[in-house]
Amino acid sequence: MLTVWGSSRRFCDGVNRRDFIRVGALGTGLTLADLMRQRALGAKRAPASKAKAAILIYLPGGPSHMDMYDLKPDAPKEFRGEFNPIATSVPGIQISEHFALQAKMFDKLAVVRSLVSVDEHSDSLVMTGYSEQTNRIQQHPSFGSVMSKIRSGQTDGDSVPPFVSLRGMSKGTEPGFLGVAHRPFSPGGPGLANLKPATANTGLNLDSRRDLLTGFDDLRRDIDASGTLSGIDTFTSRAFDMVTSGVVRNALSLEKEAAAVRERYKGVESFLTARRLVEAGVSCVTLSIGGWDTHSNNFQTLKKQLPQVDRGIANLISDLHERGLSDDVAVVMWGEFGRTPKINSNAGRDHWSPVMSALVAGGGMRMGQAVGSSTARGERPKDRPYKVSNLLATLYNAMGVDPATTFANGNGRPVYILDDRDQIPELVG
Amino acid sequence: MKFLLSGCSLFALTILLVPSALAADASRLEIYPSTLNLSGSDACAQILVTRISPDGRREDFTGDARFEASRAGWLRLTGGRVTPLADGTGTIRITAGGLNSEIPVHVSGSSTLHPVSFTHQVIPVLTRFGCNSGGCHGKQSGQNGFRLSLLGFDPELDHATLTKEVRGRRIEVAAPERSLLLLKASGGVAHGGGKKFDSNSDEYRLIRRWIAAGAIGMKDNDPTLKRLEVVPPMRRFTPEARQQMVALAHYSDGRTDDVTRMAQYESNDPEVAAVDAAGVTKAGKRPGEAAIMVRFSGKVEVFRAQVPVSQGTTGTDFVAHNPIDKAVVARWRELGVTPSPRAADSIFIRRMALDLTGTLPTPERVHAFETSKSPDKDAQLADELLSSPEYAYYFAGKWADILRVKRGNQADRAFGTFAFHQWLRDAVASDMPYDRMARRIIAAVGDEERSPTTVWYKDLTTTDQMVDNLSQVFLGTRLQCAQCHHHPYERWTQDDYWNLAAYFGQLGRKNIPMVARGGQQQQNLQRSVYYNKGTGAVLNKRTGKPAVPAPLDGGTTTLLPGEDPRNALVDWMVRKDNPFFARAVANRYWAQFFGRGIVDPIDDMRVTNPPSNPALLDALASELVKTNFSLRQLSRAIVTSSVYRLSSDPVPGNATDRQSFARYYPKRMTAEVLHDAVHQVTGTPPTFAGVPTDRHAPTRAIMLPDESFASYFLDVFGRPQRLSPCECERVSEANLAQVLHLVNSEEIQSKIGRAGGRADLLAKDPRPDAEKITELFLWALGRVPEESKLKLALDHVEKSGKNKKQAYENILWALINIREFSWVR
Repeated sequence: MLTVWGSSRRFCDGVNRRDFIRVGALGTGLTLADLMRQRALGAKRAPASKAKAAILIYLPGGPSHMDMYDLKPDAPKEFRGEFNPIATSVPGIQISEHFALQAKMFDKLAVVRSLVSVDEHSDSLVMTGYSEQTNRIQQHPSFGSVMSKIRSGQTDGDSVPPFVSLRGMSKGTEPGFLGVAHRPFSPGGPGLANLKPATANTGLNLDSRRDLLTGFDDLRRDIDASGTLSGIDTFTSRAFDMVTSGVVRNALSLEKEAAAVRERYKGVESFLTARRLVEAGVSCVTLSIGGWDTHSNNFQTLKKQLPQVDRGIANLISDLHERGLSDDVAVVMWGEFGRTPKINSNAGRDHWSPVMSALVAGGGMRMGQAVGSSTARGERPKDRPYKVSNLLATLYNAMGVDPATTFANGNGRPVYILDDRDQIPELVG
Repeated sequence: MKFLLSGCSLFALTILLVPSALAADASRLEIYPSTLNLSGSDACAQILVTRISPDGRREDFTGDARFEASRAGWLRLTGGRVTPLADGTGTIRITAGGLNSEIPVHVSGSSTLHPVSFTHQVIPVLTRFGCNSGGCHGKQSGQNGFRLSLLGFDPELDHATLTKEVRGRRIEVAAPERSLLLLKASGGVAHGGGKKFDSNSDEYRLIRRWIAAGAIGMKDNDPTLKRLEVVPPMRRFTPEARQQMVALAHYSDGRTDDVTRMAQYESNDPEVAAVDAAGVTKAGKRPGEAAIMVRFSGKVEVFRAQVPVSQGTTGTDFVAHNPIDKAVVARWRELGVTPSPRAADSIFIRRMALDLTGTLPTPERVHAFETSKSPDKDAQLADELLSSPEYAYYFAGKWADILRVKRGNQADRAFGTFAFHQWLRDAVASDMPYDRMARRIIAAVGDEERSPTTVWYKDLTTTDQMVDNLSQVFLGTRLQCAQCHHHPYERWTQDDYWNLAAYFGQLGRKNIPMVARGGQQQQNLQRSVYYNKGTGAVLNKRTGKPAVPAPLDGGTTTLLPGEDPRNALVDWMVRKDNPFFARAVANRYWAQFFGRGIVDPIDDMRVTNPPSNPALLDALASELVKTNFSLRQLSRAIVTSSVYRLSSDPVPGNATDRQSFARYYPKRMTAEVLHDAVHQVTGTPPTFAGVPTDRHAPTRAIMLPDESFASYFLDVFGRPQRLSPCECERVSEANLAQVLHLVNSEEIQSKIGRAGGRADLLAKDPRPDAEKITELFLWALGRVPEESKLKLALDHVEKSGKNKKQAYENILWALINIREFSWVR
């Protein structure tokens, strides 16, 4: 049976923290511990000053760094590829000619060109900071799951799930040892259906049911010293509120947007959904676009995909700026690794983990710059080599989350969010 | 008796508490130590002032006492802490609670500088200020290129790091103030961790002196820390009372240091008693016993803080039935706790049925139990439940969770998980002795289908995983910390860890293609075969050399030629005097019924987290050993005890108690149990994707062999994914999505409204509504409704007029959603 003691435990680093919690919220995140904490704070709780949010865009397959943000026009022909660089609004920074929209607004963007990754077809590293190989045993949680764990109950947005995945489940969206409570909410699943008012069923009247519920329920709450029993009462009333308020359902229905806006996002609607979700109070949204494993026909594929990505990201970033959200929403776009600088015989590029690029924006980070660089042929970091976890650490800090925070894993050992958690100083405020 | 303190050291130490006021009928003060002899410039000591009432009650007055030295400019006295300023002999006069006392003090050599010990003086400073903590330089990768061993467990490495790295800039013997170590710590240069201490602090001066003297590291003849001692070792508190502790380090050369200020303190239950950095424990509002850990230089010791119930005790008619009851009663007496009265029959049968079988009792069974006049009806009920197939399923599932019977959606693992689950079910049903069960699992050989217990190894691909799982499941301890460093809360070293790992050094594993059968093509499917290689070793991560198999509490293992080392490991585990094996499972089973272990968390037994009732745990363990490791007998002894029969309703004498089992602590149903209960009550047969449709197929969630049967219901209520050997992986908290699912989901609505389901049938049933509503209550709650509830329900039916089915659905919905339904009380 369940144990309901919520006392704080100590672990081998001497840090006090709550017991290993694995609550099955599946997308609503709010757990009893959070509720208790919230309650303990009581009325004095300061309104959570615009809690920051993150949008993590994943380019599955490994996008070609040398054809996007790190072009090498001076490299030999078999390296530099078909695309030409164009100037951006930031002097000295050039990006691919297929990124025309971003080029015009590069003061609102930044690129890191010296990231070292691992050779794994998996979103594990860029979403958790640890490779899939490591996570098969260690079960480190996804960025979004950590946000869910930390944010649950802290913000007023309790009627929205803290972590939403617009790309279903993957290794990198798993909550690992944080437990299924912190799985992302995935539109389309039963979690969403449970938010629909059940009035569709003829004659069903939630109010009369609620009256019966109140009338029947007189179990002494003091039999449970942990307070769980009385806590569930709050959940019950909140559940009724969630069903009737419909905040999440609204955020997901793009029809609420003007036709012109929908037109701008045509074909890249998930970027619009992501924007609407963070506006509704979601802490972390992840989405993916395209297929980037271009072992052959790299340039043909990219010619189609790059302008799409360009439109999605440029619209998203300018919308966030227009709404005054640019400092409150951090955006990152990357894949699992870069691609071979040398073009193969099928006009493709293969896996290349020694270096890759990532685009970042907002979140109060320093924009309008290219951080680090790769060698002349785009083979390795030339200076400022960073690990993926350094960029994640920067993002966590931008969210106001200390990546040195620990959670206990299944063996009761406290585990840091990130072991390698130095920030990328160039990006920090 | 004299204490000689030198360099904060006590020579010839004997604890002798001398009463200062001799009148037998009056309160008196007790001063510790009774005599102080301070020698050397680093000497210091903590004085304890205790007032003893005529009835023998002891109260700490250290914090309230006034201390006065007989000479001016001779001693610095702060809150009972003595630091000498000059040599000389005199007294300290202590006034507290209207009483006074005096101790003789002798100070010598206060200007003599003794060599500073790197291990016992410098490292403790780094530990105290958190420099070598896991969040800072103590982490695996260090911090900004500077890495110390976690909590200073490896002084040799730390010394090399400090003196040899970064071209020796951390330590400058010729100009100690220019040492990076001091500059960073005292804020002389930018430091990510901020300023830790002042340049005129004792700590700064100590480290500077150590550097100036050559920054000497360890020497072979350095005294070693033999043991840590806490004074007093135990205290019974009055509510809100405080207690100063003194921590003493005893060294191999006979020297004793007062390390009260350098030690680290932590409570295992801050609600019972909390502790601060100065070693002062404060009683909290909950009764019970807390263990206060005191750690210094790799050694841990415990101060026991007993906090009795503050309210007066009330009478009880509790009758102790068995050794379990006796051990629990003894504890209640100590803590002044009053037990709740006996639970009502209807509540008790529901409780026992859910705890033993995960299944609601039928209205008929409840009725039969309530009306039975047999004096043995509790025991009869227990025997009936313990021989039911549901018991076997339910407990097999419990073991399958922590033994990680997990498919991970890989088709070729199903043969193994199904077989292992079946094996566990047979083991529970036939009451296989637990020692044999453990041996069959731990020393398993063969392939996963024909030797199903090998499936335990399926997910354990490295020896450290084997050690972590073995220790957590079978020994009730969490060893993982000791894989990479000395365990911070235990005596276990890295060597202990790897020596235990060495038992797995000869385990061989091969994957072989699965043979096609039943006409089915098995493409690319494999199964694993496990065998004893006869050779092989595990490398000790610390030494880089092969580890030698050795059990946890010392001793060695002699292996016969060709013997599987894992068998030798089990030999040690199942010995009757093994301190872990029987206790671990006894504690696990106790928690199954009472919702909380005697050691809690249940798999975290360690010196610094002792059992809340050691006699109770011993009684259970010896019961187990006596019955030849019969888990059924263990369960039976627990559920037929008078303690288990108590009501969950609190009484004034136990309202805040949560560790002495003076009442039954209610629990929420687990995912599977709740799932099955909803189906039982709504009269709906459950269906699971991927389950065969024949008549042997599982029809209950508690029967599912592994975790790979998709179910939003089970996931949202926290079914574990069997990723870890910890029962804590199962949800321990409520959340919003669970409530949403019960309140407003299509799934629940479809079950409530199913044609031919309970609501439908009852609506059509010609019996009077009152009778039918009563039956619904019996199904859901195991009891008849109160007058008022019955009336509410009847009114509802009446108001609904012709739509009777809807009315019954609404009542059913409400019954599923009230707390009483999903709680075991």
